Amino acid sequence: MKGKKLISILCAAGMTASLLTVGSSTVLAADTYDTQAIENAGDITLTMMVSGTETQNDFETTVLPELVKKKWPNVTLEVTKLPDDNYYTALKTRLASGECPDIILVQPMYAGSNSCYGLAEAGYLADLSDMECLSLYPDVSGMTYEDTVYALPNGISILGTYYNKDMFEECGITEEPKTWDEFLDACAKIKEKGYTPIVMGDKDQYVMQFGLYQLACNVIYSENPDYDEQLRTGDTEFTDEGTWDRVLEMYNQLYEEGYIDAAQSLGTGASQAIQQFIDGKAAMTFDGSFNVTALKAEGEGGNFERGYFPLPGDRDDGKVYTATCLSAGNAIYSGSKYIDECKELLDYWHNGESDIWDAFIATGKYNMPYGNGVETSENYELFKPFVDLMDQGCAFHWCNQAWPAGTEGTMEELFSEMIGGQGTEVSDITEGMQDKFEDLLDD
Amino acid sequence: MTKKRKGNLSLVFPNKMYAFLIPAMAFFIIFWVFPIIQLFYYSVTNFNGINYDFDFVGMKNFVKIFENGTLGNSIKNTLVYAVVMVISSNLIGLTIAMLLNMRIRAKGVFRTCAYFPALFSAIVVGFIWSYVYMPSSGMIAGILNALGMDGSAFNPLGNFKVALFAIAFVEVWKGFGTTMIIYLAGLQTVDESLLEAGRIDGCTEWQLIRKVKLPLISSTITINVILNVISGLKAFDYAFIMTNGGPGKSTKTLMFQIYEIAFTDQKMGRASAFSVVSFFVIILITMFMLYFLNKREVEL
Amino acid sequence: MAFGRKKDTYKETERYEKMCPRVFFIYLAIIAFCVIVISPLVIVFSSSLRVPENQASPLILFTQFSLESYKQAWASMNYPMEFLNSVMTTVGSVFLIIIFATMAAYPIGRIKTKFARFLYFFFISGLIVPSQMVIVPVAQTISRLNVPNTRFTPMLMFITCSLPFSVFLFSGFMKSVPVEIEESAYLDGAGLGTRFFSVVFPLLKPATVSAVITQGLWIWNDYFYPMVFISRKNQYSLPVGMIQFLGDKENPAQWNILFAACVLCALPLILIFTVLQKQFINGIAAGAVKG
Repeated sequence: MKGKKLISILCAAGMTASLLTVGSSTVLAADTYDTQAIENAGDITLTMMVSGTETQNDFETTVLPELVKKKWPNVTLEVTKLPDDNYYTALKTRLASGECPDIILVQPMYAGSNSCYGLAEAGYLADLSDMECLSLYPDVSGMTYEDTVYALPNGISILGTYYNKDMFEECGITEEPKTWDEFLDACAKIKEKGYTPIVMGDKDQYVMQFGLYQLACNVIYSENPDYDEQLRTGDTEFTDEGTWDRVLEMYNQLYEEGYIDAAQSLGTGASQAIQQFIDGKAAMTFDGSFNVTALKAEGEGGNFERGYFPLPGDRDDGKVYTATCLSAGNAIYSGSKYIDECKELLDYWHNGESDIWDAFIATGKYNMPYGNGVETSENYELFKPFVDLMDQGCAFHWCNQAWPAGTEGTMEELFSEMIGGQGTEVSDITEGMQDKFEDLLDD
Repeated sequence: MTKKRKGNLSLVFPNKMYAFLIPAMAFFIIFWVFPIIQLFYYSVTNFNGINYDFDFVGMKNFVKIFENGTLGNSIKNTLVYAVVMVISSNLIGLTIAMLLNMRIRAKGVFRTCAYFPALFSAIVVGFIWSYVYMPSSGMIAGILNALGMDGSAFNPLGNFKVALFAIAFVEVWKGFGTTMIIYLAGLQTVDESLLEAGRIDGCTEWQLIRKVKLPLISSTITINVILNVISGLKAFDYAFIMTNGGPGKSTKTLMFQIYEIAFTDQKMGRASAFSVVSFFVIILITMFMLYFLNKREVEL
Repeated sequence: MAFGRKKDTYKETERYEKMCPRVFFIYLAIIAFCVIVISPLVIVFSSSLRVPENQASPLILFTQFSLESYKQAWASMNYPMEFLNSVMTTVGSVFLIIIFATMAAYPIGRIKTKFARFLYFFFISGLIVPSQMVIVPVAQTISRLNVPNTRFTPMLMFITCSLPFSVFLFSGFMKSVPVEIEESAYLDGAGLGTRFFSVVFPLLKPATVSAVITQGLWIWNDYFYPMVFISRKNQYSLPVGMIQFLGDKENPAQWNILFAACVLCALPLILIFTVLQKQFINGIAAGAVKG
């Protein structure tokens, strides 16, 4: 991408021209922004696009615009919420057409088509380094590209293991497993009782990441925190012994022992799996903090008590590491006409005390490291063990955040072939991942 | 009447009639032909769809897609999908059309039933069939359970060998009604007296179908096959809505793969190379079908 | 070509087959087949009439009649707005397609040169190119032309994508419009424009009906272009509204609401189909048989 030599000036001239104008406005964003921008703006309409699924009285699409209107009657905030895949498509075509919404949701580092680094490199994101609320965050490194902050993370996201406490008790499991053997033991006990130990919606292949990344933190990153960076330099490879081969083996063990039923899971969607969990049909499911509302909903299983623990690895020292890191967050489109207005809005939202903040925290989905109401928020206790681990330095990013988008797709694809009995071996998966990784970095 | 000559010398239909083409031509060239030409250009670059600072990479994209097998896999899946769809859609459509073409009661009701699914949007159909195929508690699994069979073993979308057929079948369900209506129209042009004559000569019903009806509706068969081939080769919706290409890569069709390379892997250059290749594959197949069917039509 | 008339004469002489085991078996087969085809839709409809919390097996039909699921689906879809958007874009696109395609088909169907033949194939070749393939360059083109993203932007692509089939349909039909009529109009001194709009166009009516139905159907149901081009919620069309339910993790098992939304989304077409059934059937058949 560097050292360009344009062959067809004809075609590219128009595009580069439009990009250059975008680029220059980024540069103009100076040290401090106009914190009274909205007040001086007159009637304006700000647009925002996020991914996810709308709920009743949805925070982003319903509550937020109302609160913004209340605070600044001259601002109309229009929010679009699209399911992940459609969000990527929409974002890409809007960027291509220069019609990008003012505020967009980006993922930390290199994750997904809306990765902070990818969009920042292409010049699509405005510099947010001068925002006031940044001083409240302990760490925004995943949203910092070449020393510039480009997005405000919506707190911390966790990958963990949700479990049915009542069912655990019934099966005689009194403590959350702290080692891999204890975990397997628990699964065996549950299976003996005739319950499904773990339910997964592998038809939506991305859910495989939920379990695998937890294991990767324990097996790989705890030993070598720079593993992913070294992948880029070639010092490490997915095929290295004792890294991904081990992770995949361990995860596959759950399928081989029948703790996850591959024949079922491959045809079950992510939401159906959640439903089965809340219906009390399975003892556990690997999922993220972002789905907590759904996982705590009342199903046929009634209002059983739910717990959440980090999946342990097979470490000798008994330490547990967790896949807990920055969440996706809001960024401002560098081509927006209202960069300062958006900054003012985001600052107000994230200042830890505004009414927008309160509503934001009240959703219980966002796990913010500061601010009012955080400690009394609904899921604080559930998430606390993970946050504590993070404070002790036992937390790592989700693997795909450090990989070029698409690597995890190959991993999921090959892994599902393995559990689907297509004759795929662990070594095929690691080799496939390495090939894909190199392929994606190439150019 | 104008005759076939080198130029157009007709007074009634002069060349200035071409002015009528302008609006359609403008739309077609700007929004269809020009973007396709751009695809050809991107196919030799490393454009990622976001960053316009891209390089010329020669034939690398083409080499890659051939090498890593994604092209082969998706062409195979697309062909299987198209073949399943063309055959089932036409067989079912033709059979039902023949039955309905008999002098039976309540023909309109049956026709409506068969056509009804075609009214629904692909996205709605995707939702409905996700439920129908759902393991354990879906419609088919539920019926199996109710019949005392093991419904939990029924899991078509999770099965590597079956998933592609399962989504092709959804498309058949939605599309066969249209095919049937076209056949019905074709069959109604078959002269009843020819059939009477055949019956008097002692032809069996099967012979009548084989020797009289089918040859007479051969152009209808051609059009139905071609329409189904075209939509089969475009297969995208149900892989996108219902399986997301999975399990593994067993339902990744050409269009799904292109979409994924462009939007997930962010390799617009490679996706364009993919598109260029599929463009030729689709043209080849369509031309072959047209040639083959025209020949057949003459033979019949 | 004479299919419309033939069918009518056939109908007059229509008698029903006499009941015998063979005929009985045929009825049985057709009924069984229709039941299988329709059953998913019946279950969808029956479930949509349940309250959202009713998780009982959907296979037991019509146990409850409540509009609660519809209420919730209606509210979460913002139905009136989406309905209006769908109507506007569909009607607008179909109207323009008819005008543009008939105009384009006029020279293509009338002029008998190789060039006209080439133009015919040029348009038809567009049939085989799928939209997913060209979406990024299309988006760039639209931006370079400074077309703003509004609820009407997808119309550009609806029109473009409908052109191949419509041109194919109309130029095929053009052959059935007698050249003599035009010749006599020409002798009466009518210009091209007059001839086209007042002589030829009215005679294309069967093809127009067919184009309105086939193109209207896919445009109404298309989710891809609106999904890509529409960024504001109040501009969504019905199918894009449906996408919101895709992968809904917050309400995993809200099948009843989802099904109600499905019914609501398809309802306008179902109503139109019920009223204009004959035109639908004939239109679809005519569209293909003409070619």
